[in-house]
Amino acid sequence: MEKNFIIAGFGGQGVLLAGEVLATAFMLAGKHVTWYPSYGAEMRGGTVNCEVVASDDEVSAVNKIDTDFIVALNQASFDKFIKKIKNGGTMIANSSLVKELKNRADINYLFTPITKLAEELGNIKMTNILALGVLAKASKMVSLEHLIEALDRVLPPHRKNLLPLNIKALKIGYEYDLLPV
Amino acid sequence: MTQCLAEKKVLTKGNYAIAQAAILAGCECYFGYPITPQSEIGEFMSGKMQELNRAYVSAESELAAINMVIGACSTGAKAMTSSSSCAVSLMQEALSYATSDQLPVVLVSVMRGGPGLGNIYPSQGDYFQATKGGGNGDYKLIVLAPSTVQECADLTYKAFYLAHKYKNPTVLLADGLLGQMMEPVEFKDYTYPEIDNSSWALTGAKGRDGRVIRSYAPLAEDQCVFLEKLYQKYKTIEENETEWEEIGTEDADILFISFGSTSRNVKTAVKMCREKGIKAGMLRPITLYPFPNKRIKELSEKVKKVITVEVNMGQMINDVKLAVNGKVPVELINKPVGAPPAPEEILLKVEDLI
Amino acid sequence: MTTQVFKIPDSLRKDVKYSFCPGCDHGVAVRLVAEVLDELNLKEKAILAASIGCSVTIYDFLNVDSIESPHGRAMAEATGVKRARPDKFVFTYQGDGDFASIGLAESLHAALRGEKISAICINNTTYGMTGGQLGPTTLLGQVTTTSPTGRNLEYYGYPIKIAEHIALCEGTAFSARVSLDTVANIRKAKEAIKKAFEVQIKGLGFGFVEILSTCPTNWKMTPDQAHERVRNEMMKTFVPGIYKDITNNKQAVLV
Repeated sequence: MEKNFIIAGFGGQGVLLAGEVLATAFMLAGKHVTWYPSYGAEMRGGTVNCEVVASDDEVSAVNKIDTDFIVALNQASFDKFIKKIKNGGTMIANSSLVKELKNRADINYLFTPITKLAEELGNIKMTNILALGVLAKASKMVSLEHLIEALDRVLPPHRKNLLPLNIKALKIGYEYDLLPV
Repeated sequence: MTQCLAEKKVLTKGNYAIAQAAILAGCECYFGYPITPQSEIGEFMSGKMQELNRAYVSAESELAAINMVIGACSTGAKAMTSSSSCAVSLMQEALSYATSDQLPVVLVSVMRGGPGLGNIYPSQGDYFQATKGGGNGDYKLIVLAPSTVQECADLTYKAFYLAHKYKNPTVLLADGLLGQMMEPVEFKDYTYPEIDNSSWALTGAKGRDGRVIRSYAPLAEDQCVFLEKLYQKYKTIEENETEWEEIGTEDADILFISFGSTSRNVKTAVKMCREKGIKAGMLRPITLYPFPNKRIKELSEKVKKVITVEVNMGQMINDVKLAVNGKVPVELINKPVGAPPAPEEILLKVEDLI
Repeated sequence: MTTQVFKIPDSLRKDVKYSFCPGCDHGVAVRLVAEVLDELNLKEKAILAASIGCSVTIYDFLNVDSIESPHGRAMAEATGVKRARPDKFVFTYQGDGDFASIGLAESLHAALRGEKISAICINNTTYGMTGGQLGPTTLLGQVTTTSPTGRNLEYYGYPIKIAEHIALCEGTAFSARVSLDTVANIRKAKEAIKKAFEVQIKGLGFGFVEILSTCPTNWKMTPDQAHERVRNEMMKTFVPGIYKDITNNKQAVLV
């Protein structure tokens, strides 16, 4: 089985790091995984994204034409990627910054106030990791344990002091009441 | 890079994998000048080489960088530079000299869009640049083409080994996709034998006459003798070092030929073709020089059509056509620049072509 | 009892056919380099980065390990050698075209990095090997095959004062301009070469000597006339002297 994920937002929301944590968690779970960032001219205009492909077999293509799960942390990302979701796929949108519009009937929408939850936690920079918690719960593809271990690996030494807060953010996202709307 | 060397696997970018592998291969000197999409190699090296008390120079240009590599290699040292497309163009003169000097230069070329400044998106537009050379005279570079981040590491080891074994400049030809993507990598031990260079390296003329590493051959007959010898060496390289991967070629009617990151998509396309009842297979050259032309010739006796898939306007297809030599039609599926054509696109085009 | 007053330096190869033109100062310059290599006992640890132009044949004469460099890149090769093998003595021997035109970036940056390298640059105000074209040091008014009516500012701009430029680089330990037109000046030239070599041995930084030289063939002069020209014309623009010597507290000055 192969699934792909796109995490997108504006620069500074930590989408590349969130993708790296997700990819590391898949690696720890023994999956084949590939992480691929948007870079260069594509990044101008404020959106950054990365794609993570996890598979039981060797990952072949990246930059796929469609996507199983998309996490959109801002409106521009929502607008850009809504078309790219597979039939039956899931859009996880940060409803703190994204309008709750559901124009496609063939996909699942999960509107979660991710930024607001991060603010309530006391650090808006936790938005990205909180989103991973939501994604973990919604996708059932990756365990909280592997994500926590991945965080421990990915956070650089000078950020290690933020590990407990990151774990808390993951759990808040994971435990948030996810009723598909 | 998510580094945890105690554990076997590390999630890392292709660029970091190349740099880390170079360190583990015993690279003593790195000289470089930044260019996207390979700047992480120089960034990683700047810290690591200093930490290990090895040589690192932020060169004033790519011209200087590759010539510094020549200088270091002339002493028998393991030395490298890395760059991309338009800046690799600047290095062509030195690569020509280094083949004539027979020096073990290692160049990592992470391709981006061209011609000219082009852009920083992935591309395979420098197949000609690497395999045909933009420098003057008759020469070949050994060219290795990874298709995964793991191979970026493994083939970096091999690049150092082959460069020293054959005293010939060797190129690791990656692209922006491989350079920027992260995948789990296992850094194995460098198990290639160390090559004795005591018969030619510059060490100071102690108890012997001064050695001269030169390309200048004022007499035509000297140049003739040299080139005959050089091409004997290339024959040996072709016999011993040609490497490729095959999938589904046993019964294939359609033979895809694709290298580097593009071959990943072709692999999926092969599966999709087979699901549709099209008997497809793929040959992936791992060495672009030496090119697996013998094997392609053999396969062309059995298949109905050969299709090369490339992210350029069709470069490798020329070598494939020479190997196939008119036996069967050779077609091209390409994208000029950017991410490789999606497997779905390849499938659609194949259905059109057959 | 006889006393030896002159000998062929050990650092010169024996039985090599002399290939420079009659009256060219390259021969003297190469001998001085060989003598200094002998006197400082460097032959067995020296590695030379040769350059392109008439200077390329130096590896036919000096019996030291040598790597040939593409045109202008000798300083890059030398940097590579020195960084790979810091215990070796590394030097270049270049013409003014190689050092200060096509290779100016490499030269300035090697000096700025304070590479422990010594560089000898032969300034003869022309591209000698290709037949006497205008080069970076061609004097104003000088007729060459590519400045048929003489170097004028409108078409060609100014010649470069190499020793002064190198002296301005903070990594430079020694920079001097010398000439070979008289026996006294030849002695001074040798002292300068020695100094440029010693600053490397002591690990002080970049050592540089610009040698004003003749090119009788392309100047279409006899050797005597050529040395007259060095004295009367070249030295007006290219003033001999020590422009920097950090062992003597001599800092760069604008002349």
